[in-house]
Amino acid sequence: MADALHTLSAAELGRRLAAGTLTSRALCEALIARYQALNDKVGAFTHLDQADVLAQADASDARRKAGQGRGPLEGIPVAIKDNIAVKGQPLTCSSKMLAPLVSPYDSHVAERLRAAGAILYGRLNMDEFAMGSSTENSALRKTFNPWDLARIPGGSSGGSAAALAAGLVPLSLGSDTGGSIRQPASHCGVVGLKPTYGLISRFGLVAFASSLDQIGPMARSVEDCELLLHALASADARDMTCFGPSDRALTAAGDAKKLRIGIPKGFLGKGVAPEVAAAVNAAVEFYRAQGCAVSEVELPSADLAVPTYYVVATAEASSNLGRYDGVRYGHRSAVAGTPVEMMTASRSEGFGPEVKRRILLGTFVLSAGYADAYYVRALRARAKIRAEYLAALAGVDVLLTPTVPTPAFKVGEKASDPLQLYLEDIFTIPANLAGLPAISVPCGKSGHLPVGFHLVGAPLSEAKLLAAGRLFEAAHGFAHQQAAL
Amino acid sequence: MAEGFDIDHLAKLARLSLTAEEKALYSSQLNQILGHFQALADADLPATIDDARVVDEAVLRSDEPGPVLGAEAVTRIAPASRDGQISVPRVVDDES
Repeated sequence: MADALHTLSAAELGRRLAAGTLTSRALCEALIARYQALNDKVGAFTHLDQADVLAQADASDARRKAGQGRGPLEGIPVAIKDNIAVKGQPLTCSSKMLAPLVSPYDSHVAERLRAAGAILYGRLNMDEFAMGSSTENSALRKTFNPWDLARIPGGSSGGSAAALAAGLVPLSLGSDTGGSIRQPASHCGVVGLKPTYGLISRFGLVAFASSLDQIGPMARSVEDCELLLHALASADARDMTCFGPSDRALTAAGDAKKLRIGIPKGFLGKGVAPEVAAAVNAAVEFYRAQGCAVSEVELPSADLAVPTYYVVATAEASSNLGRYDGVRYGHRSAVAGTPVEMMTASRSEGFGPEVKRRILLGTFVLSAGYADAYYVRALRARAKIRAEYLAALAGVDVLLTPTVPTPAFKVGEKASDPLQLYLEDIFTIPANLAGLPAISVPCGKSGHLPVGFHLVGAPLSEAKLLAAGRLFEAAHGFAHQQAAL
Repeated sequence: MAEGFDIDHLAKLARLSLTAEEKALYSSQLNQILGHFQALADADLPATIDDARVVDEAVLRSDEPGPVLGAEAVTRIAPASRDGQISVPRVVDDES
């Protein structure tokens, strides 16, 4: 049985653990063996403390034996993107700026997972400081798409998605500022959910663009994604945007067959590959056949989303990343001199090219003489985009589009063209700008490469998105899919 | 809208030291990206930014002391420390 454990869902693993037919130690040993066999090939993890994992597993098994199990995640490994703090584990953001850093504290989500009995299982590769859509911007290692090792897994949570698709772990955490959970989920054939802004605390998430950043669950099925979401959502006074758990977000699913689905006009024409359009259209037809009302909706300012996002996100990043000055933590240059010279040298040595590019862009759009023309106009555009999305979602329950216009591209294919890479996020960005929940669900293949569809809902409509996803995956064979490696 | 920028000034503001090659590359790429931002200049936009917020109001906690990391944990992750304090290059010259 041990060699098949990596194929099982978190829900099924939880049932076997509860029934006593499986121990957390046996599960973790099987996953560690798989990590040893496959991680060099896939590159999903940047760190795994095997002794610590087994110690956590033994503690979980002991709790269960003593009748003190902590819930459905008891004994189940959850791998964590390397920008979310776990006490005693590396916290590098896949950057030379932080690389040797070991976190002295737990993020709120790490506390929640410990309280739920989960095993905090290793660190996952990402684009440096979550800036990118391919995980090629990691300063630590390359991550490859398990479905085609010559291709990117998406990003910035590329390690989180690749680890699931390779069967290295049943659950993972990502973070999403413009699509960084959903885009890699789509490229790797897994499920990823970005919650409503404020549902999950960001305490202990390394800040990139604070008005957009959210932590979210990733899994190989909608059911598992929901299981993890429920463990993460809770009030936390340490994040002033976090309003805590919401019954509406977590339980008010309604009947998925009665959902009103909006298709944004013109979205399938926006550089969408024919195979992607076909898979997404088939999903639309599935919902229509189930009894859902499908209608076209207008989002006239959709074309403003990418420029708006890249002004707002880089402006906030240039401010947030000002803290890396080589003084209190992170890389300090050996170049001697004045404090300013030390700071400048530390930042120049520690940050990679994409981070520097975004800091420069953000510095420009906030600089004297340009802030009104760029940053303030972007905020006005953001207000317009949000208003249009909320208006559209007053008439329908969810908006359905592809998650990404094209399947995963080849490693290096877009590395020299940042603007092309930014357009990967064209369908995912508006949910961040408007603070809305959104999910990517696998719906087919383009050749051998996974394709996902994307649902966006009104604030706190997570349960509806998950119900819609469950309805689809129950009728199709894409849940629990893994690449053959 | 996408008028020229001074890459040296930007780098100084951002506390980054760029090589000549980096300056040329980033200038070219930023110009291309800023060209894409032209859509924002051309758009008919609302006059206020009030609706750009995605949460209605901040959730504030009471202003009371809570747990902190402590000097030992903080200096352990600092690039350089001495006697329980973070050390930095000399800021003030003591010879007048």
